[in-house]
Amino acid sequence: MFDATNFQPLLARRYTLEVRQQMAWYWQALVIALALLVGLLISAAILVVAGVPAGELLNEFVILTLFDAQSLRAVLFQAAPLIMVGLAGCVAFRARFWNLGLEGQMIWGAIGATAISLFEIGPPSMRLPLMLLSAVVCGLIWALAPVLLKLHLKVNEIISTLMLNYIALNFLLHLVYGDWKDPRDNFPYSPQYRVFERLPDVFDGLSLAIVLATLVAFLVLWFTNVSRAGLYLRFVDNSPGVARAVGVPVNRVILGTVLLSGALAGLAGFMITAGQEGRLTHSFYVGYGFSGILIAFLARNQPIAATVVALLVATLFVAGRSLQVFYQIPFSMVQLIQAILVICVASSEFFIRHRIRRIQGGQS
Amino acid sequence: MSNKNAIQLDAVSKSFDGFKALSEASFTARWGEVHALLGENGAGKSSLMNIAAGLYAPETGSLFIDDNLVRLKGPLDASTQGIGMVHQHFKLVKPFSVAENILLGLRNDQALSFRQRLQQTAEEIKTTAARLGFTIDPFARVDQLSVAEQQRVEILKVLLAGARILILDEPTAVLTDAEAENLLTTVQNFAHQEGAAVILVTHKMNDVMRYADEVTVMRTGRTVASLKPQSVTVGELVKLTVGDAPTPPQVPASRAAGEVKLEVSELCSTNPNAPILRGVNLSLHAGEIYGIAGVGGNGQSELAGALMGLPEPVSGSMQLVGEGDLRDLSASRRRELGIACIPADRYSAALAAPLSISDNFAMGEIHSGRYGPFWFLRRRRIEADTAAAVSEFDVQGVRSLQQKAALLSGGNAQKLVIAREFSRQPQLVIVHSPSRGLDVRATLAVHQRLRSARDAGAAVLLISEDLDEVMALADRIGVMSAGRIIGEFAQPADRQAIGQAMVNHV
Repeated sequence: MFDATNFQPLLARRYTLEVRQQMAWYWQALVIALALLVGLLISAAILVVAGVPAGELLNEFVILTLFDAQSLRAVLFQAAPLIMVGLAGCVAFRARFWNLGLEGQMIWGAIGATAISLFEIGPPSMRLPLMLLSAVVCGLIWALAPVLLKLHLKVNEIISTLMLNYIALNFLLHLVYGDWKDPRDNFPYSPQYRVFERLPDVFDGLSLAIVLATLVAFLVLWFTNVSRAGLYLRFVDNSPGVARAVGVPVNRVILGTVLLSGALAGLAGFMITAGQEGRLTHSFYVGYGFSGILIAFLARNQPIAATVVALLVATLFVAGRSLQVFYQIPFSMVQLIQAILVICVASSEFFIRHRIRRIQGGQS
Repeated sequence: MSNKNAIQLDAVSKSFDGFKALSEASFTARWGEVHALLGENGAGKSSLMNIAAGLYAPETGSLFIDDNLVRLKGPLDASTQGIGMVHQHFKLVKPFSVAENILLGLRNDQALSFRQRLQQTAEEIKTTAARLGFTIDPFARVDQLSVAEQQRVEILKVLLAGARILILDEPTAVLTDAEAENLLTTVQNFAHQEGAAVILVTHKMNDVMRYADEVTVMRTGRTVASLKPQSVTVGELVKLTVGDAPTPPQVPASRAAGEVKLEVSELCSTNPNAPILRGVNLSLHAGEIYGIAGVGGNGQSELAGALMGLPEPVSGSMQLVGEGDLRDLSASRRRELGIACIPADRYSAALAAPLSISDNFAMGEIHSGRYGPFWFLRRRRIEADTAAAVSEFDVQGVRSLQQKAALLSGGNAQKLVIAREFSRQPQLVIVHSPSRGLDVRATLAVHQRLRSARDAGAAVLLISEDLDEVMALADRIGVMSAGRIIGEFAQPADRQAIGQAMVNHV
């Protein structure tokens, strides 16, 4: 049967592609990190072409942003709400609920917090916790309708959450151009929060927001990885049919998870108003919905990874602003860089799913 | 029969993620013969044939078609070479018609409009079907066809694409006795009369003995023998396949059954468009296996779904004696009462394929709080329990408890389901086609588990389309037809009489 003279292997190439069954998480992390690096290099090339001197780029991005104490504070300051929306994306997507209503839920969170400030509810010492609670509850309530509609009437949540954003936005405009407008000037924002209504710095200019965000990230990690709900959620995420058959309370899991997502988005709204702006403005939410989805995607719905990616996106935001100031690079360049990073990480999936292997003893 | 080789695979090797699925396997089929490829689950039969069909690229080895060395770049290449494969899981576009599905597989080299080509294909379907000895409506939607009819569509698809080497992967797994006989006769004619080569991938000894001209036996990725089935006995063939001869299945010993455990009465489907169940009545006693035999599609899946607590629209009652209707029991209550369910389709109703073995196992006792309160999972206890169950139930191929359940072979996945479901002493066991797709050894292991559950006093309801399985296991047999139990037989039952009841009743 085996004839050595006319024997030829089916494949002359010495490398073969195999479908990988499993890959350890640290290898996956390495692949994604490499993909991010490739993405950053491509972005750097584009920025150089756009007129930023190559030497300055490194200076701007790495040295000035991360090694300058003030910039680092700015990054952390910027990161807190991004971490929140990233986490909100992570949990919702894990329940297979495409929550595109992060911005609407943020707006309601901010409105809820501002209402406590405006109507002076509670004693000054309790004001900040009350604002936080109000933001969480308002964000959660804004997520309630779409999830109930989905569970009971099978209404597509992509449409319902997206449309509810417009309702929230117009209500916000109604408030800041109307009854809630700061009487002292004519700009579309609410009166400035009092000092005790703003998130204080804990030490050396480090905002309480980032501490809070880190804490919440660990709570979400607990929820997804340590609690029984997390196990249920894995079943709902991976095989909804099996989940139902083996006794996972699927509807309750989805309901709870989506409400958590809304609450986190509400918290993000609170962090921006009480931490950054100090008042309710008409455009504080812009871009956060997209960023939340992007962070959740880049982080593969992993809470800790989302925190890291949010920091990266925040760095990009801060560095982008200074590029804008010093080199007249349009801010849309930052969005371009975000998009490049997403594409790179999405492509790296190929290497996570496949293995390239050299054939041992293959003849050529 | 000519002696010319139709297809020859020489010393082919293939690994998946470090696991060597094929090591230097060789296989030769000649024109005009039905060549069976026999082996247990995971022996490498499907991998070898997927290489022949151009779906996998081998790492080493060579492939000859008609004694010419060829290299296949993909399935399309294979189809050009006249190789057609019918997979175990059909690859059909469900909402498309028969003709549309078949047209998809044909090359677009004509100057005709889509509609004309469709019409032309429909004509070809009719002629080819007639030649093979069956009829099929080319414009019927595929999802409205029975499994056997869908399989015919698959066969027509590869034949119309010009296949002269027909590979059938486990073709009779989903068919009834009569349908299987029909199919195998058809392909036998195709080989004997039209001179084509038919490769039958199977683990059913009877099919091999009755229809194959030649059989190649595979074991753990190697081809161990190639011989004429007429020259050996079934026992010898079994021995070649599994390495050592397993004990043949026996008719269970009759024993005194206990009191009634489950009383199903007038169970009907409430969906007026699909009135599949039309009044099922049965009572199941503790300490017995009640087997439901019948041709597939007579309401078995719906009955199993309703009993297993899936959202199945039914009226009537399913009284668990002393506890009320099965429908009113929560998932945790079902577990507490020792109700174990083993569904037919493991990966759509029992195991989450992408999740780990321990995650899947944990669902068995999660509701009882054994694995911690709602806010905390006791992972170490889950892992310890899983490890114990994996070894007790002989689940093989477990490299790590964190490995995805999808990596288990069919038989071992089934053992994992049983390990989970039987982790608590079962009182009521509902099983649907438990040995579907399993090899001899795994089937015996599953059957042994069911018998010992019965001997420990459990009431076992076995729903299976495999009459041999029902005959081997059940103490009483109910025949299901058109959504009803139309007759009951006590063991020792007459196989012929049951077979008659299965097909005669309308």
